Amino acid sequence: MTKLTINNHPIEVQTGTSVWQAAQSAGINIPTMCYLEETEHFTSCMICLVKDAKNGRFFASCSTPVFEGQNVITNDEETIESRKAALELLLSEHVGDCEAPCQLVCPAHMNIPLMNRLIAKGDFAKALEVAKRDIALPSILGRICPAPCEAGCRRKQVDEAVSICLLKRFVGDEDLKSESPYQPPKAELSGKKVAIIGSGPAGLAAAYYLQQKGHQSVIFEKNSKAGGELLHIDQEILPAEIIDQEVTQIVATGVQIRLNETIDDRRFAELQSEFDVILLASGTIPEGSSAFGLKTTKAGISVDKTSYMTSNPKVFAVGNSLRASKLAVRSVGQGKEVATVIDHFFRNSEVTGFPERFNSKFGRLAETEFIQYQKDSEAAPRQQADHSGFSKEAAIREAKRCMHCDCRNPESCVLRELSDRYHAVQKRFQSEERFKVEKFIHREGIVYEPNKCIKCGICIRLTRQHQEEFGFTFIGRGFDVKVGVPFNESIQKGLEKTAKIVAIACPTGALAMFETEEQI
Amino acid sequence: MNKETNIQQTIDQIIAKKGTAGKSVIPILQAIQSTFNYLPEESLKFVCEKTEITPEQIVGVASFYSQFRMQPVGEHIIKVCVGTACHVKGAGQVYDAFRRHFNLTGHEETDASRRYTIEKVSCLGCCTLAPVVQIDEITYGHVASDKVGNVLADFEKHAGLSGARKGLFRNVDGQEIQGEIRIGLGSCCVASGSEDVKKAVEETIADTGIKISLKNVGCVGMCHQVPLVEIIPHNEKPTLYAKVKPEDIAGIIASHFKPLGTFSMLKNSVYKFFESVQTDTVWDGVKQYSIDAREKQVTDFLDRQVPIATQYRGIINPLDIEEYKAHEGFAALKTCLTELSSEEIIKTIKDSGLRGRGGAGFPTGQKWSLVAGNQSDVKYLIVNGDEGDPGAFMDRMLLESYPYRVIEGAVIAAKAVGATQGFFYIRAEYPLAVKRIRQALVYCREKNYLGENILGSGFSFDLTIYEGAGAFVCGEETAMMQSIEGQRGFPRIRPPFPAASGLWKQPTLINNTETFAQVSYIIREGSGKFAAIGRGTSRGTKVFALAGKVNRGGLIEVPMGITVRQIVEEIGGGVQNGKKFKAVQIGGPSGGCVPAELYDTPIDYESLHEVGAMMGSGGLVVLDETDCMVDIAHFFLSFTQNESCGKCTFCRIGTKRMLDILTKITTGKGTLKDMDELEYLAGWTKKGSLCGLGKSAPNPILSTLKYFREEYIAHINGKCPGGKCQSMIKYQINDLCIGCTKCAQKCPTDAILFKPHEKHEVITDLCIKCDACRQVCPVDAVEIV
Repeated sequence: MTKLTINNHPIEVQTGTSVWQAAQSAGINIPTMCYLEETEHFTSCMICLVKDAKNGRFFASCSTPVFEGQNVITNDEETIESRKAALELLLSEHVGDCEAPCQLVCPAHMNIPLMNRLIAKGDFAKALEVAKRDIALPSILGRICPAPCEAGCRRKQVDEAVSICLLKRFVGDEDLKSESPYQPPKAELSGKKVAIIGSGPAGLAAAYYLQQKGHQSVIFEKNSKAGGELLHIDQEILPAEIIDQEVTQIVATGVQIRLNETIDDRRFAELQSEFDVILLASGTIPEGSSAFGLKTTKAGISVDKTSYMTSNPKVFAVGNSLRASKLAVRSVGQGKEVATVIDHFFRNSEVTGFPERFNSKFGRLAETEFIQYQKDSEAAPRQQADHSGFSKEAAIREAKRCMHCDCRNPESCVLRELSDRYHAVQKRFQSEERFKVEKFIHREGIVYEPNKCIKCGICIRLTRQHQEEFGFTFIGRGFDVKVGVPFNESIQKGLEKTAKIVAIACPTGALAMFETEEQI
Repeated sequence: MNKETNIQQTIDQIIAKKGTAGKSVIPILQAIQSTFNYLPEESLKFVCEKTEITPEQIVGVASFYSQFRMQPVGEHIIKVCVGTACHVKGAGQVYDAFRRHFNLTGHEETDASRRYTIEKVSCLGCCTLAPVVQIDEITYGHVASDKVGNVLADFEKHAGLSGARKGLFRNVDGQEIQGEIRIGLGSCCVASGSEDVKKAVEETIADTGIKISLKNVGCVGMCHQVPLVEIIPHNEKPTLYAKVKPEDIAGIIASHFKPLGTFSMLKNSVYKFFESVQTDTVWDGVKQYSIDAREKQVTDFLDRQVPIATQYRGIINPLDIEEYKAHEGFAALKTCLTELSSEEIIKTIKDSGLRGRGGAGFPTGQKWSLVAGNQSDVKYLIVNGDEGDPGAFMDRMLLESYPYRVIEGAVIAAKAVGATQGFFYIRAEYPLAVKRIRQALVYCREKNYLGENILGSGFSFDLTIYEGAGAFVCGEETAMMQSIEGQRGFPRIRPPFPAASGLWKQPTLINNTETFAQVSYIIREGSGKFAAIGRGTSRGTKVFALAGKVNRGGLIEVPMGITVRQIVEEIGGGVQNGKKFKAVQIGGPSGGCVPAELYDTPIDYESLHEVGAMMGSGGLVVLDETDCMVDIAHFFLSFTQNESCGKCTFCRIGTKRMLDILTKITTGKGTLKDMDELEYLAGWTKKGSLCGLGKSAPNPILSTLKYFREEYIAHINGKCPGGKCQSMIKYQINDLCIGCTKCAQKCPTDAILFKPHEKHEVITDLCIKCDACRQVCPVDAVEIV
């Protein structure tokens, strides 16, 4: 046995144990990427650096055995900085998008590629579910959204953008037409109550997501019909029954709507005592109005940009009450976000901003890279739809045009998770040149994107262990080193037996499986 | 016979010779490449079929080492040396000139006719001839960017000739450089009759066709010995002859240089010059006149030196084992085998204070006792001769000139630690060293200094050669062992240290060539004598390759503790062309700069570390006021970045990003924030890298930032004070111009506006800054602003 100290905790472990394992056994987690227990350690990512307290030197904990009297620090400022530095270096050459540009551009942050993949598979119900995670009113928005997502679509660089908006409408309409439209699972009621003023897109969306989280949402609408601004849109574009149907779905989750209720200052004060939180989603604030005593700016109610909290900590505001944007998708997105913020407030008694996740981005595709992205999509032209939207066939064909710019391992990617944790900045050390994007697709539904590889060699060790005929190997040296199949053989030949094994073991999205949609 | 069966038969023969085990992969690849000039893919596949070598291994290894080529190359390979000494003397412009000559664009390296392939090589170890270009086996020295055509014309003239003419040093005009003769023409010399001596030299040169340049030098200060004749064979230490009479000249010259024509008077011994790069065999007839080593006040070059690793320099023929024995050779080995126990040997080494000469300076005796203390039936010993620093050639010189001394040291070490088998790991770019050691090993086996039961002592040990394949990182001991095992040269984390688990997981002793070369002296002369030399914890001597902007460069061996000033001023004869000393770069890409204000820094491990430099393996490059320190940092970082094995994040990406920033700064696009980020990355690359290469790669940056920060800031403000960074300088013709049109004739881009007899003008937009005009101008009218 060997005695050592980690972060001032004395511990005792088997002689020969690595410092990383010793820390683990003491409940101290040290992040690592290149280390995989069933293979020999390689020591390449350097994320697991820890500090020798005696001489201040750093060493890789995954592959250094403990010694008697060792004194290790894993969590001081300098050690944290080492991880951030290593991550920022890795990110500087990481050519990949965690999330697709369309999703990043979408004000509601809808997972478009995932929806598209499900449509392409014919699983419209699942596709609708994915759409509704971010957009409470897909059929409505499918008709009125100006589709900023399509401006971000990379397919536009090849020919024309994927018809995302109509695809969303398609899944929305399919759902509404079905016998039992989709209802999210009902959560147990928390006992918390939220008063939502206004039943426009922002209010409806907020109510929908709050209710899903178990907080009783009550919408106060001054008109006799729910929908707010939506009711003023041309019937040809947005028929009233579509609004009715989607509102019905929202009410079905347990949301209460009180029509013909105008909220004035006196009523506002009452709501404050009746409800735990008030959410203002009442549309544009008329000039000169008192705005219930809340601080305002020229544009509208003044809120914290990420939490939507007003000058009153129990009052939040979203949608056009902040500024007249006339962009329903933004209001819907804010409704979703504020629901998350309020839910967090109820659970933790503190208001924090809507969490923004780390996203690796690389920008425009070079023309030479189109071919790589087209490997995962169909060459068909953009499908046309009539006023009734896409047919099933057309929807599937259109969805198959999606190039799936998103990463297939967005949840399991350790690089993303750690970049989030250590607040790494991708652009910090980026140079003007970047590696070219490449995609290799294995018939077992595995995609290999070398430009996302961190050269940890786990896949190489695994293919060797499983005695692949070709396997993977390091090709080249230094900064330009690549992991690939020897003799330029196909990925099929390289991974005869181990395709799934290496895809699961890969710490990033360089090797990933099509089959397992992590985000479903 | 079709191509495929031809390949298969060749491979079969290679495998039969090199073996089928995984460890044979590098020798197999080397043999394939020497047959086909590159590695045809089908040959590699065939190797995988016939041996234990897997596709993963063979492709991984072939693509790791820079020696291996996957594409066919031109008939002849032009290697432009871009080592430190060549770099500071304009190697980059020479390389560009070759590319222009062949109209190469982008990543092209072979000309359209596929006759020539051009590549950069990090150091050819001929630093005193800088800039150096090697075409196949012919080396050209002092190549300027406007001389590229001459070099190629000369090569074409000789390309068809047989091997007899290979391996020569030639000047850019095609003449073989055999050396230089300096005749003192100070007033005392002239008075003593040096003019007559000079005439005799000229006549002898004319008679024999020996290609040497005759140079008149001023007073050398030893007026009581005149006339003085100094013979300087290329790249070698000079020999000074005193009180020379005209009739001595033929003999003196014959003793140093091989005639090109038939020179019947010569004795066989003069051929030794070509066999022995460092030896000047002294002709008996002249010896009596040559200055005795004890009163060498003038030979400053030797004066401050203490030859231990280079003992008997200029006296013994490298491969003459009898001569080595006659000069105390193998005496120490005999003592160790017959009189001393392992413990006693190790104690002597410990007492001598010898520390590893490879750079890190680990106490040698301690290393030996660690290996000795690990019990195992099999123990290995490795002689690290993988010297890869640009601007360093100590290992090459020692292996080429003192093969037996290195072998003797290794066998003594083997006895001390109980090693059973040894390897010489020698860098691929040193074919002569490999040849010498190979031959020396044969002779040693014949005489039973190696092999079974050495000298009847019961101790058995043998050494084999392992040729590196072009990877600087393999100088790192764990990477070197990977390489010997037939893997990519990836370093691994230590512990375990090689002393406990090294080659094939057995205890292994790895020492630098120079360390081994000092062992026999210590045993023979006693640890006290060695320990008496030096300063602080740095005892004995250190061999350096002195090069750059210094009057007399070369291989020197100096006592530890000597100051930088003494080396540059006294041994090197000061800075060239009367320029001002700016700094000396010590330790190559792992080292740092010692600036003028620290000129008196003593050379020892601790003092150098303190000022931010490093002993390294011993490259010592003198820089003058025209050198740009940011460019120097960029130069070294390009080297390490290119040599990074690519394993760990900090080195693989960190060196690249630092280079990106330095490139920004040297091209005038840098900002003050970039300097902060550079320092941040340098700090973390140093702290976070896995092995010594990465940990020391930021040193040239940190040290130049420390002493020459204002130069960085000047670049950020758009000015390169040294006038070196191409995108920040302009060429201009001043009033000294005599209107001779020479520059315009040389200009490859017609960027000089000229009228004969009138002042010319550089059209900046057309100028590619190749420096040809400046070099050719007879009146120094071309200036950089």
